[in-house]
Amino acid sequence: MIPMSFINPLSDEGKQIVRKDGGDLNRIFDENDMLIETVSSIKSQDISDDAYIPRNYVDLVIKRIEWYVEKKSDLKYNFKKFAFLFDAKITKFDVISFYILCQAVGVKFGPNSRESRAIVELQGQLIENRLEELITSERTEITEQIMNNLILQDKIKWTQLADLISSKKISMQDLVLKDGNVILDFEDYLEEFKDEVMHRQPEKMYNLLIGNRVKELIIIKMIMQNTENYIKSVHEQMSTVEPNPTLLKIAGEISEVLSKEIRYYGSGSGDGDVKASPLNVDLLPPCIKHALDGIKSGGRNEVIVLFLTPFLSYARLYPSVFRSNTSLKVSDVDADLKITKNEILPMIHDAADRCSPPLFDDQPQEKVNINAKLGFGMHSELKLQHEGETTWYTPMSCEKVKLNMPGLCKPDETCKGITNPLSYYNRNMRTK
Amino acid sequence: MFKQATLEERRKYYREEWDIKQVPDFIGNFIENREFGFDHFGRGPNDRYKVFSTLDYLKRFLRSKTPFAAYCSVAYYQKPRRRDGWMKSELVFDVDAKDIPIRTCGCDDVCEICLNEAKEIVGGLIDTLKGDLGLKNMHLIYSGRGYHIRVIDDDVMGLGSDVRSQILKYIVGADVPKDKYDDAAGIYDLQHFSIPLGYPKVFTQRVKYGIFHLTEDSKLDDVNLKLLKDVIKYRNLLEDDEWGLFKNRIGPLRYKKIIKGIASLNMSLVDAKVSIDLKRILRLPSSLHSKVSMRCTEIKNIETFDPFKDAVPKFVWERED
Repeated sequence: MIPMSFINPLSDEGKQIVRKDGGDLNRIFDENDMLIETVSSIKSQDISDDAYIPRNYVDLVIKRIEWYVEKKSDLKYNFKKFAFLFDAKITKFDVISFYILCQAVGVKFGPNSRESRAIVELQGQLIENRLEELITSERTEITEQIMNNLILQDKIKWTQLADLISSKKISMQDLVLKDGNVILDFEDYLEEFKDEVMHRQPEKMYNLLIGNRVKELIIIKMIMQNTENYIKSVHEQMSTVEPNPTLLKIAGEISEVLSKEIRYYGSGSGDGDVKASPLNVDLLPPCIKHALDGIKSGGRNEVIVLFLTPFLSYARLYPSVFRSNTSLKVSDVDADLKITKNEILPMIHDAADRCSPPLFDDQPQEKVNINAKLGFGMHSELKLQHEGETTWYTPMSCEKVKLNMPGLCKPDETCKGITNPLSYYNRNMRTK
Repeated sequence: MFKQATLEERRKYYREEWDIKQVPDFIGNFIENREFGFDHFGRGPNDRYKVFSTLDYLKRFLRSKTPFAAYCSVAYYQKPRRRDGWMKSELVFDVDAKDIPIRTCGCDDVCEICLNEAKEIVGGLIDTLKGDLGLKNMHLIYSGRGYHIRVIDDDVMGLGSDVRSQILKYIVGADVPKDKYDDAAGIYDLQHFSIPLGYPKVFTQRVKYGIFHLTEDSKLDDVNLKLLKDVIKYRNLLEDDEWGLFKNRIGPLRYKKIIKGIASLNMSLVDAKVSIDLKRILRLPSSLHSKVSMRCTEIKNIETFDPFKDAVPKFVWERED
């Protein structure tokens, strides 16, 4: 039987392993014969090169990350190099390495870091792949077991999954809901939808719509969320405790391995950065073109202040904001604010004038709000001394546009797969 | 009706007709935690951050000021005067007849037809909120030009904007459901209309509503007049839920276009900004919507509610014109 902690290291079983075998941080760099022997004995594992075998706990931590990076970015990804990660024989070592990894990231980088996000995603993928390697009966059994362990009640209410829904780790539309309950068991499904599915191969439909898929999705996402919470709790403890130098050292190594993969963050397309340059109006997305033409009905201020201002300023001054994942001020990229004053603001003000009625005619205070969204506080003049009083708003995502400004989003072919209008512009700039 | 109330009429309403007992309990019971806002001159609610510790103070305020419009927050605060110490917020869906994306009436503002269509939409949303999401404690308010669904189940009042936006998208049918499903045996094509449960079922209901309310003047992304005319021509097939036949008549690619277009319009069935805003103020039930001379009214039975009977203040009937 598959140990529960192989899939969920945060389970009580996993915590017990750490309590029993994982206490001494000073010995985690020591060569571990048991680990080497266990990994070497795994049949599908490639042992042709010593470097493929983790020699100690820290090595195992790094191997996890290498697997994640290589699988994601290396076209020649070789499963056999990492086969040990998918064999339950390594459970004890695996659990300890998981805790070392989370603690290192929690201590040095915290829960909102690139490293933390990568570790959470890694853990999700690892569980998914481990489940896929199991035979169907084992897979169903362990999923069921973990589910019962994670969720204590008989029935799960969708509101219990609010954290997962909020962080978009799970979509409400993927859940089968009835009277507020998430339907997971075949018996519950039959009871609730007997009339609807009676003549439609009920079992087949259950397997397609719910089956193990939704259950697995829920346990994977819950473990991911719990991993994130654990990293957060480690980080919070750091305000009272001196960080352990060993963990800091490991965190440095983790970051280094992850940096090989850095280009996969941000816009997501993987090709080169877009440099700041004068705006090319022809390459703007349809929603921005529409906004530049002026808004003829309701919602003028939102479109001009919240949508257009961040977009134009970032597209002109800092188009790689999402890729770089670093917050800047306008003056970091436009030191004397000349571009902002001479190129960006006139475009925004012109669009405001094209609205019907012209925005500033009845709402002159919106000029101040535009300055605020550029990070210059609530002032009528754009002055460096005020910079930082407010935040330079990042461009709104397509989803937010659709929610807040229905009617503005008229997608064209290029919009496919785009989640932020700025990515649309950057993609066009790269391919022009 | 639909004519602005005069100051004299407002006074008459608040001093002779309105009764503090008409303010629903779900507002009165936590009055000290809510922010109130007022519009005194018909230019928007700029008298905000008002707090009343008892219903009696609210009564005296409304009787003496007879505002153009009165609002109260969907949020409960520890310090409502500063909108500070947010505790929780009602989950709200605002269906304004004027903003429904597909209206058969073609009127410029609000009329009996589009108000009825708003009511029909609200009925569908409530069914999903109850049947799928299991929400039980909700109040339906006629706002004067549409409807507010105000949900006060404890389970949802603490939710943030992200979850609220997902709820909204679920109940209005804002996304076309996927059509590929897999199990151990392979991948299968399942259209939304062949799945009688979950989100695909909700989506099918909303699309059906949309298709039956299309007119040749309707504007849908990527849908031309020819396609619109064909949909209208064959939509009677959907009366018996002959979706497969309907899809064949329209053609699979064009069918995709039409459901995508309706999904996109569905997002405007409800004012999303109201649903995701945790600190919104909403028209106070029982207050006067002076712009249209109608009473903002809590509805006890949606089936029998008729705004033209149940939400018309006496002074309107007494008008000479």
